[in-house]
Formats: sequence, C-alpha cells, structure tokens
Amino acid sequence: MTVPTVQHTEGKKDVTFRVFRFNPQVDSKPYFDDYTIPVEKGITVLRSLNYIKEHIDGSVSFRAFCQAGICGSCGMRVNGLSQLACTTQVWDVLAKSREPGIIKVEPLRNLPLIKDLIVDMDPLVDKMKHYSNWVDSTMPEAEMGKKEFLISEAEFLRYDKATDCILCASCVSECSILRANKDYVSPAVLLKSYRMSVDSRDSLHEQRLAELVKDHGVWDCTHCYRCQESCVKSIPIMDAIHGIREDAIESRGMKDTSGSKHAEAFMIDIEKKGKLVEATLPIRTNGVIWTLQNLLPMAVKMIMKRRTPPPPPLVKSAKGIKIFREMFREMTEHVKQDHKSHKN
Amino acid sequence: MKPFDIVIVGGGGAGLYAAMEAMKTNPALNIAVLSKVYPNRSHTSAAQGGANAALANKAKDDTVEMHIFDTIKGSDYLADQDAVDVLCSEAPKIIRELENIGTPWSRLEDNTIAQRPFGGAGRPRCCYCSDKTGHTILQTLYEQCLKKGVQFFNEYFALNLSVSGSRSNGLIAMNMKSGKVEAFPAKTVIFATGGYAKMYWNRSSNAAGNTGDGQAIAYRAGIPMKDMEFVQFHPTGLRKSGLLVTEGARGEGGYLLNKDGERFMARYAPEKMELGPRDLVSRSLETEILEGRGFDSPAGKYLHLDLTHLGADLIKSRLPQIREMSMNFEGVDPIEEPIPVRPTAHYSMGGIDTDNQTRTVMDGIYAAGECGCVSVHGANRLGGNSLLDILVFGRIAGRTAAEEAGKFTPGTISEAEIAGQWDEIRSGMHASGHYERYGELREELGQTLALNVGIFREASLLKKGIADIAELKERAKKLRIFDTSDVFNTNLMQVLELKNMLDLAETVAAGAHARQESRGSHTRIDFPVRDDANWHKHTLATQVKGKVTLGEKPVTMGRYELQERTY
Repeated sequence: MTVPTVQHTEGKKDVTFRVFRFNPQVDSKPYFDDYTIPVEKGITVLRSLNYIKEHIDGSVSFRAFCQAGICGSCGMRVNGLSQLACTTQVWDVLAKSREPGIIKVEPLRNLPLIKDLIVDMDPLVDKMKHYSNWVDSTMPEAEMGKKEFLISEAEFLRYDKATDCILCASCVSECSILRANKDYVSPAVLLKSYRMSVDSRDSLHEQRLAELVKDHGVWDCTHCYRCQESCVKSIPIMDAIHGIREDAIESRGMKDTSGSKHAEAFMIDIEKKGKLVEATLPIRTNGVIWTLQNLLPMAVKMIMKRRTPPPPPLVKSAKGIKIFREMFREMTEHVKQDHKSHKN
Repeated sequence: MKPFDIVIVGGGGAGLYAAMEAMKTNPALNIAVLSKVYPNRSHTSAAQGGANAALANKAKDDTVEMHIFDTIKGSDYLADQDAVDVLCSEAPKIIRELENIGTPWSRLEDNTIAQRPFGGAGRPRCCYCSDKTGHTILQTLYEQCLKKGVQFFNEYFALNLSVSGSRSNGLIAMNMKSGKVEAFPAKTVIFATGGYAKMYWNRSSNAAGNTGDGQAIAYRAGIPMKDMEFVQFHPTGLRKSGLLVTEGARGEGGYLLNKDGERFMARYAPEKMELGPRDLVSRSLETEILEGRGFDSPAGKYLHLDLTHLGADLIKSRLPQIREMSMNFEGVDPIEEPIPVRPTAHYSMGGIDTDNQTRTVMDGIYAAGECGCVSVHGANRLGGNSLLDILVFGRIAGRTAAEEAGKFTPGTISEAEIAGQWDEIRSGMHASGHYERYGELREELGQTLALNVGIFREASLLKKGIADIAELKERAKKLRIFDTSDVFNTNLMQVLELKNMLDLAETVAAGAHARQESRGSHTRIDFPVRDDANWHKHTLATQVKGKVTLGEKPVTMGRYELQERTY
C-alpha cells in the first residue's frame, strides 16, 4: 500500500515499513503488511507508525504512551533489534538496513503475543512478584514518616543506575536463555532484585537471594551480554547479575547450589591451569550421582565419536601460566576490596 | 456481583498512593485499581524536577509556613488557603514516608534527602532523585502495591459512571485485551487519571494518553469541573512533538533567537533575558511568532534555542538529556545546530471540583492529583508542587474512601446498560456514507486550542474557539473506527480519548471566555490586569442537558491577604 499523494520535497525518503500483523480473532498465523511512506530526517519509528495508523491503516496495533523514551510502552523489534520505537530514528535504521529502504517492525520476543506489535507484559510482572522486587523496609509501618534513613551518596550510587530501568522489556526480548526457558527469571527482574538487595533499608536480602539461586534463577545466565547491549537506558545489567552471584557465593555462603559450584570449579581450574578441566566439570557442579544419571548416555556417545575431553592429568597448564596467576590473584584481591567497600 | 469497596481509576502516583493508603486504613476492603496502561507507564514517570517539602535539609531556616506562602503567591491568590495548608504541612511527612519505603532520593553530604532550588520557591526545598524523580517515585509505589497484593486491572479503559439519579452505582470499563465491556459495581470510586493538557496535542508536553478521561467521565455524570481555563504553558517545547526542553538549557546560558538571529528576550525582560519567569517567557515567544518573526515549517512556526556557543564539552557533560532528546525527536544535534522550540501546554491546574478530603459533590466519588482540583495550584502551579499534590491528595483520597465506603450502598449495573455502552462505543465501526478521521479531528482540535484558547486569549478568538469545538463535537459523531476487532483495539481507544478531550475542551474555552481578567496562566489581551473585585473566585463548569453551564465558587482565604504578584 502506498499513500496516494506523495509529495516529494527535498530531504525525504520513501521508506517501506514491513509490519508484523496478527489478530488472534481472525488470523491462524502471523503475516507482514508493507506500508510505504515518505519520511524526512528526524522522524522516529513511532511517529511513522502513528502516521500509518492515522492515514493508511487504522487497524495496525501497537502501544505508545509518553512518546519521549520515558514510559517504556513502545518496545518492539526494529530490523531485528529490540528497542523503543519512540527514540529510534528512521534514517539511522535505514543506514544500517540490510534491505535498502525497508524497515521490518516486529513484536518483542519471549513474551506472549496479543496482537500485531503488542505482547503480554503479565509474565514479567508475575516474576517481579515472585522475586520480591520491592524494598521490604526495616522500619515498622507505625514509625514511617517520622524520620529519614541516613543514606550515603555512595550507597545511592550503588543502585542509582539500576533505578533507570523503565521495564520496556527490550532485554527480556533479547535474552538468549528466555528463548529456551520461559520460566527463567529474566534480566530486568535480576536487575531489580540486585537494586533491592544493595539497599540498606531492605530486610528481604536473604529470602530474595534464596529464591534467586534456585532453578531458573541467577545461575542460568550464560553471560551473552545481549541484555546489556540492547538496554535502552544503557544500564550495565550484567554487573547486577554478577553482583547477585558474588553476593550468593561470597557473603551468603550458598555453596550448595550447582550454579555456585560450577562457578567455583571454573575459578579453581583457571587459577591452576589457565584453562578448563572439562571432563570432571559436571561432577564438580552437580555431583557423581546426577552426572551418572543424566550424562552417562551422552558420555558413551562422546566416547564412541571420540569427542571426549582429555582426562584431568592430561590437561597441561596454559602458556604463561605464572604471569596469568599473578593477574588472577590481583583481580581476586580487587573483588574482595570492592566487597569490603560496599559493606562500609 | 458483590460491589467493590473502592475502585481507583488511574495507576499513577495519586492512584497508587490511594490504593496503598486504603489497604493500610482497612485491610479487609475489596479494592481494585484500573489503569489504561501498566501502572509503571503512567505519566508520573515524566516528572523530572522533584517534589517540594520543607524538610529544611538544605536550608536550615526553611519552614512549612514559607512553603505555604510561596504556593499561594504562585497561584496568583486563586488557591484555597486551607487546602494549601494541608498540602504543605503534609509534605515533610509524606516525603519521609516515601523514603522509608525505598524511594532512591539523591543525598546531601550529611546523608539526608537532597534538596535544590526551584522557580517561585524562597528556599531550596525541592527533593529529587537526579532528573528522574517522578519515575523513581512511580516505581517505588508500584513495587509497594505489588508487595501489598493490590488487585490491578491493567489495560482497562474507563468508559462511564453508572448513575441512578444522583447516586453512583460504580464504573463501566472496557477490557482492552478482550474488548469486553465490564461492570465494576462500587461503593466508592476515586478518579486519579491525570491531566487534560494533551488536548493541545502536538503543542503539549504530555503523554499521548493524558486525555482527561477521569474528568470527562465525571463531567458527563454531572459533577462540576473547577478552574478549567487554567492551563500552564512551558516556554520551550520541541517544535514537532511539544516535548519539553527543561529550563536547565537556558540556565546554562542558552539563547532564544528569532528568524533574524535576534536575542528577542532583550525586548521583554532586558535584565533577566532568557531566565525570566515561565509565563513571561512563554508570552514572549508567542508574541515573536504572532508578529511574524518566527521560522516557518510544515510542523508549524517556531523559534531557536541556541546552545551552539556553549561548546560540545559543556553540552555533553551538563545537558546530555537535552542533547539526546533533540537528536531523537528533532534530528538536531544542539552542539551543531539550534533547537527548534515553541511554547507547549504542560499542566492543567483545573480539574474535578473536590473538597480538602477529595470528595466531589456526588456521594462516594473522589478525585485526586492533576485529575482533581482542590485547589492548591490556583491560577498557576509552582514547579515541584505537582508531584507533591498527587502524593498528599492521593493518600487522603485512599484514606477517605476507605473510611466512607461503608456508608454507601450502590445499586446494580444492569446488563442492558453494559450492552448499551458496548453498542455506543462501537457505533463508529459501521459508519456509512460520509465519515470523519480521528487524526484530522484531533489535529484540528489541537490547532484551534493553541490558536484561540492558547497563551494569549481574547473575546473574538475565544468565540471562534468555542464555535470550532462545537463543530468538532458534531463531526466527532461521524468518527470512523477502522479497526473492527475486539482484541486490543487501540483505534477505538483513540476515538474514545478524543471524545473525552472534546468534552473537556468545551469547558476550558467556556471558562476562558467568561473570565474577563488576566490571572496566572490565563492571559486576556482585552483584560490585561487581575480583577480581584469581580474575578477572585473559582469557575465551575457543569454539563446540564448536554451543554456546558458555568457557575462559581468562592476562594477560601486565610492568613494571606491579596497582594500584587511580583518577583
């Protein structure tokens, strides 16, 4: 579909928006509609969608509210990348577009589809509830409003950046774990959990953490960094995830979870040899019984195909291991110092 | 269906605080919060500056009394002094309470809540969290409501009150996800749906959804609106979107230039130049445009806010947000080019008429925040008082409704009434013959309001505005809804929002036409001075037989006598 009266002034480009369409009432499966409109410099994807809705097809459905990058309503995938439609410049996207002149607009991934570009946010809210994403104040309700907690600027700065999160769910959409496991806690909820746990006013640290180290929790993250790369507010989400993990291992002593054991095994191997001893990793992470029950068939197959990792005695130390160990020790020391200063 | 004890319409700061307080007051009550967006999306999140409270953390000699006086003077003496008393006296307690439940306030060196100076305030009493105060308050309140297990009905669009005689039976709303029209029989209803300044559309800094839904519903139910003609304009909105470029840009030394490259503020405020008071600077920009010294563009006339002389380093370090916004929404990098700006409708002082306990004239109906008008802002709101308003009166609304819910026994909402609403809202789906388009009508409404009911008002302009709005209301009956589906019909929602704005636009224009004086944000070219003898009173606008009928209400005075407002 093309607008009938295209007036070409200078500085305008014809852009085709390839919009994901799905109306559960009539469509058995999704499809794409193409809308070609003239777009000048400075126009955002959201303004283009508004134009399409108002002038070409009123049934194109998407959410939008503040239109200024503050409320987080218009998260969607533009040419494959999850972002806010209201802060995304059409010309910038065009410059990187694989198909010239075409911008593909799709709903966020990893959340149930409702219609066209609208997905259901309820699963995210449910997870916020499950992981107690709130401050449970140490102050009794009857005492509230009488005096302030005294909080240092240093403590404020610890959660300042995390409170920038607008729950647009771009990170949720980009998360590689969520694609495989819908029950995974999700990056935004980890970020919020971290924000609560470093707040000295909160009394739920232990309970929240106990929940976070269970299945589908903080140890399921594989550090792909896609959440952080797609964050529309440039929040270092991975720092928060690492923060929760360090918290779990160092200060909480929760060494009984497979996630923390896995991380610990990594640390020991890297310190000793500068590389992984993969053959025994499952045993050290999940124990002998679990490994025999779950991985034996695969191990047999690997032996048959001669794909087994070398047994531990054959894993030689990496080159330059001495210098590496020195660096390793220095880093560990830094992390410890960091922890100390956080607690003060 | 058993009636709810309290139905709260709106999930911004006022609605969420009301919900929290109501649960605290009586945990046994059955409370529902309806919101047309997920509550964390609400427009409260857009408030950057902060909330005023005389904590005296920064200036040790600050007092509640000084806050009261600043607010009354700022209101151009139209605020009710007993209401302002409540607002300012409650302020320190409520800011501490928010702090106690986890709001991340910025901190001073002595680890207390940080405060900064703000326009019209005699002391630095604006409590803030960087430039995201509203956002963090909203997040905190939403988190606390999740913790308390508040019953949310997210993405429900409120349609109307069900009224029998002079009594409310509850609310009728559309579930966006299913498209179904549902009844919420309720002993009490609290409206907390925010402001109506979006009726100026792309001449407004507001979110697309600030369409005055709560006020329009109350207005149609016969509840009076108060002081609707008072709409605050901010001097520097972005040309295309109306989004706000904060005062900080001028504070750092930005120039306002007309098309001749002249720093025109020299003509209006030779001493303060770009840093004159908000209403004066807005009027100056508007004058330049009206007298033909603005730039022309398809998106309308505009002026330049020039930061280029400040240098890349300063812009990057002190005005990063403004730079980001200019690039995102105008495609202009202020390091290299001036930002196109013009005044933008920013805040609605008027709203549903309430008493100090947020009660309206209808039993069991309450209103709080920008949606209501107590009045604490009078003819002009001070920066930092809007967040405070939603917190203080949101809480009062929650408590009052919780205490009074037991007094009311609502009647039933019949199936026929629900079916009637369903048919009515969907009538535009099978329009035949000539029809109107949503985008065009909305554009025309914004245009006529900006031109005729804007910064400068005058009898003949206002008459034109009133006529235009009446014509648009007529044409709106033929509005076509192109999306005929039930599931998440945003096209239908837009049309309903536009109709709400049209209902309220009528009251804004009528009030502005009637008020023959200039006070606060309301500037009449034909009546340029404040007229206390005839106009020191509130305007009431009530819908009688489908027509706007004006009335009045005295201003409650107190310790402070009328004075000229000079700064």
